[in-house]
Amino acid sequence: MEKNNKSIRIECPKLLITRNESDLQWLIGSPFFPPLTIISTFRCIHSGSSDPDFLKESEEIRTLLLKGLDVIGALIVGKSDPQKTAVRAVEAARNLRRVLSGRTNLENEEIIGAVADPDTGDIRFFVSENESSASLDLVNSVSYDANPEKFLWESGCLLLCQLPIKLPVCFPVNKPSDVECIFSRAIEAVIAKLKDPNVVYLVEASNKASLDVVQPVIIRGADLDFDTTAPNIELLDEAAHSSEQKLLPCGHFCLKSKSTPHLFSAKNADILQVSVLLNRSEKSPKRSAPAVEYFPAMEETRLLIVDFKLEVLCYAVQGIPLMHAISKLIIPGLIDQLISMKQMTLPNLLTQHPELHPYHFSPPGIAHPVTVIYELSYGETEMKQVDARRSLHMRLGLPFDRPLLRIANSLDLSIKDRSSTSSTRKGSSFLKDVHIGIPSSGVSGGIVSLVQGSYEYYHYLQDGFDDSGWGCAYRSLQTIISWFRLQHYSAVDVPSHREIQQSLVDIGDKDPAFIGSREWIGAIELSFVLDKLLGVSCKVINVRSGSELPEKCRELAFHFETQGTPIMIGGGVLAYTLLGVDYNEATGECAYLILDPHYTGSDDVKKIVNGGWCGWKKSVDSKGKSFFLQDKFYNLLLPQRPNMV
Amino acid sequence: MVKAVVGEESQLQLVEDRLSQSSAPAQVGLVIGKLSSGLDRGFVYDLVPTPQNDAGQSACSVLEPAKDNRKKGSNSKPKSQSSDSSSSLVIDKEWVAEHARQVSRMMVGGINVVGIYVWASEATFKNSTMVLCQTVKGVAEAASLLEDDLDERLLIHICYSPRRWTCRNCTLSSNITSSSLRPCDFKMGRVLTSLQTFKCFYNFDLRLPIYQEKASKSETLVDVLHNGISNYVKELRGAKAMIDGNLVVNDEICTTDGLHEIELLLPFMKDMYIEACSQKDVVGIVNLTGSVCSFSFLNSKETISQAVADIKDDIIRSLLSRLDIICDEADEDAGTNDDVIKETRNDSLSEKPVSQLVLHSLRKNCNLSLPRRVFVPWLAGTFISDHLQPSETLEVLKDHCVELMSMEAPNDASKILEPEEESLRVTARSFWDAVLPYCSTSSPSNEKSREITSKETSQKTIKPSNVNFIAAIIILLLSVLVGFIFVRKS
Repeated sequence: MEKNNKSIRIECPKLLITRNESDLQWLIGSPFFPPLTIISTFRCIHSGSSDPDFLKESEEIRTLLLKGLDVIGALIVGKSDPQKTAVRAVEAARNLRRVLSGRTNLENEEIIGAVADPDTGDIRFFVSENESSASLDLVNSVSYDANPEKFLWESGCLLLCQLPIKLPVCFPVNKPSDVECIFSRAIEAVIAKLKDPNVVYLVEASNKASLDVVQPVIIRGADLDFDTTAPNIELLDEAAHSSEQKLLPCGHFCLKSKSTPHLFSAKNADILQVSVLLNRSEKSPKRSAPAVEYFPAMEETRLLIVDFKLEVLCYAVQGIPLMHAISKLIIPGLIDQLISMKQMTLPNLLTQHPELHPYHFSPPGIAHPVTVIYELSYGETEMKQVDARRSLHMRLGLPFDRPLLRIANSLDLSIKDRSSTSSTRKGSSFLKDVHIGIPSSGVSGGIVSLVQGSYEYYHYLQDGFDDSGWGCAYRSLQTIISWFRLQHYSAVDVPSHREIQQSLVDIGDKDPAFIGSREWIGAIELSFVLDKLLGVSCKVINVRSGSELPEKCRELAFHFETQGTPIMIGGGVLAYTLLGVDYNEATGECAYLILDPHYTGSDDVKKIVNGGWCGWKKSVDSKGKSFFLQDKFYNLLLPQRPNMV
Repeated sequence: MVKAVVGEESQLQLVEDRLSQSSAPAQVGLVIGKLSSGLDRGFVYDLVPTPQNDAGQSACSVLEPAKDNRKKGSNSKPKSQSSDSSSSLVIDKEWVAEHARQVSRMMVGGINVVGIYVWASEATFKNSTMVLCQTVKGVAEAASLLEDDLDERLLIHICYSPRRWTCRNCTLSSNITSSSLRPCDFKMGRVLTSLQTFKCFYNFDLRLPIYQEKASKSETLVDVLHNGISNYVKELRGAKAMIDGNLVVNDEICTTDGLHEIELLLPFMKDMYIEACSQKDVVGIVNLTGSVCSFSFLNSKETISQAVADIKDDIIRSLLSRLDIICDEADEDAGTNDDVIKETRNDSLSEKPVSQLVLHSLRKNCNLSLPRRVFVPWLAGTFISDHLQPSETLEVLKDHCVELMSMEAPNDASKILEPEEESLRVTARSFWDAVLPYCSTSSPSNEKSREITSKETSQKTIKPSNVNFIAAIIILLLSVLVGFIFVRKS
């Protein structure tokens, strides 16, 4: 083991090793980054007795991983000799790369072999320079980056290519076994055609702001070069502005001004839209007048039309020329996806018509998007789909109680106007996440635990409905249901007061006369409605007096950390929504982030925050006044996150 | 709504001279030009008189009122009638419409039959508005403009005394009323010389499956093609275009002179003309391949997207015209023309031209060459086109020019553009090749190989399992042959 000056950069938000992790993880990097930069890890979920099942792994990873990213190593969790384990990891990573790329000579590619100690979580990194030399170099210089999004998206962009294909396949009725062969030939013909000189790739910006400024660019198939290997792609200097269209860099379509750091994410990345077209006016030496030929089928023949909806997302740095982005990323991406879909269609080609659709997700903790192909002919909640998502969660190291990979959570890549801010989204007139940016609680040394995700603020008099004096719990319930909607646990509309009353009557809790009344409801009724409408169960904490509440702070903080749902506080008189606590365990000092449904003004964040309708409340404020009344009991309703993916 | 019309002064002056010298009491003919809905303007390039009909009669004559003792127009001096306030026109509407149909086949992009003109006295014209409107309607139906068809056409009246040109805009509503005709501003100017020229080659490869359905049992080859092309129109209309290598994005005005090349870009593998179906039985597949050469001419005030739309129109019109010509021919001499069928050695089929064959009952490969398009220089650097059957020569073209367009026969054959080669009638492929997407359209490179391959296919039907084997043999034969030729040459 010799000293070297190599260093590993880790650009993933979490490279945490816990005891329960699967013992092999693939390290993901990109040819566009400096060597030995890890941006995420995928768990290996298919393995045989000792080795990973490379074929299965490669099939899944090929779909999942955007073109422009690749496997650059492996990490093994184990206690045995680190050097030997690292050799195993490197070997596995090389094997997978080989299967993924279909190339055999990976001679001079650096591969990372990492070994993690399951007890301490310490990771040691080794690098193998090339396949022939068995020696591994231990790399001691490892740097972690606090802002991987910035690293990825400051100079990166996404390329999106949507390509619907209608593939006609004829087969002899009495020999249906031929259909697979004919189908494969048809797919091959399409693949060959993608590289045809007459195919034209149209590149345009996909956000309105740049769409007005930057003209679309045409890249002709004849200009594309399929030989140069990806790592050798020359980056173009931004200064060297080429007038030739095919040499324009991807950055030509990207917005120049991106100074605000919170804009660095896959959701805000510049997207280049690529369309595949066929030049029907291609030059040819011979142009014959139209002619017709008729070919009768000599045996009983059936025509099957197979629909493919290809949608390929690629990652590229802004410096690479468009023509390389197309020949190295888009076209291989299309081909791989077509082959994946072919494999998924082939087993039941004649009996079923799967509706395969690719979706792209940017789950938390992973700085780059991933692509998943879902079969839409099944409902999302059907076991087969749930299992598919579960295994994806496993591979990506995502929690099993968040529906992060449901279709509703997929990236919206349609052309959008980026200039509008997120607070005023279309379709919802309600204010969202009003607590963001409010003054701090003033608890010294406290740890803030907040609601996770977005909610809408419902309060008195909204929608022209006068519920002043009785509707506060209804409004709190609406806020809670909006949270479940916005986290995509459910698609049900936020119910009106009447609908809430109706569901309480439906379950037999109330008499029919309750509908249309102005009767109050409490925490228990809320739990019934949540169960009825969303299938969400709740935990209830009772305190006999407001003065007992601070004792529950630790439990509330734990709720926000693990469940992250808004809490409804009901009881003697007033209902509130609790969005978080700020708690100092040592001193016991605490504050509650209260969203007050009793507000009757207009939806103006400034007014709401200044009026204290959304803000931190201490049990006893500076004037000695108690926020929670001593002589009243309180019920706290803690909705539990559904345990589903 | 076209509000102003500009006529090409150089050409219309010639027309006026010709009319004033003619002895005919009245004349009707077609207006060649362009209506621009975007500009609300009309452009008139030329007026073409409708020739005498098959019986040798003029398409238009003046009917004297019954009280008048004199005979109808033919034997009296035309000028003397102008004073008669009750005479009216008799027009052979069907014949004018037929003329329009034939002429519209010769038009190119941006040049259309946009109405009729009439040479008559003021009073005669006034008494004949009904028949004129009906004639305009008939012409509009026979020569419909495809793209965003304006429901209006021009009616130009050239009055002989006083000598005056007036233009009216005729609305093509279902019932003709007095409000159908609206006067519009007419003036002479120079329009032909400022036209921009656009050229496009369009290569297509349509596969039309023939389904084993009752509904399609009686479909002839022409029916299938007609449906196929009509469905294809949508796809072509949506195509993006490049002009001189630049994508058409903004609707600009073309500023550079010279010939502009248009390239059409269609979606990849999104063949809308294939019906979405799960599984259907097919009895065969029709493959329409080849190139269409197209020209379009654009007025200097129109935008380039109009040029693209005109080119697309022209491509579709040219394809449909060729089908019409095939049909006309089949109607004329059903069964007599054995040239149409070359492939068929089977006696039972030889009676019918290929275009009229019912595909369902046809169990043999067959092929049909559509006419090729040639272009003839017309006014001021523009072209008009004609479609020639494989058996026809340029003489036919000259006849058409003289008869339909009343222009002088082009003497210099070198000025006639023949961009489309005659298509080969070769079936070197099997059904199983033809259904494969993007299979290479085999076009054998020399005469001898063509003979061999056609023999090969006529002998046996190829099954998918041995396609590769047969293909290998064909390639082998071809290469031996090519090698043989090379050896002999050297």
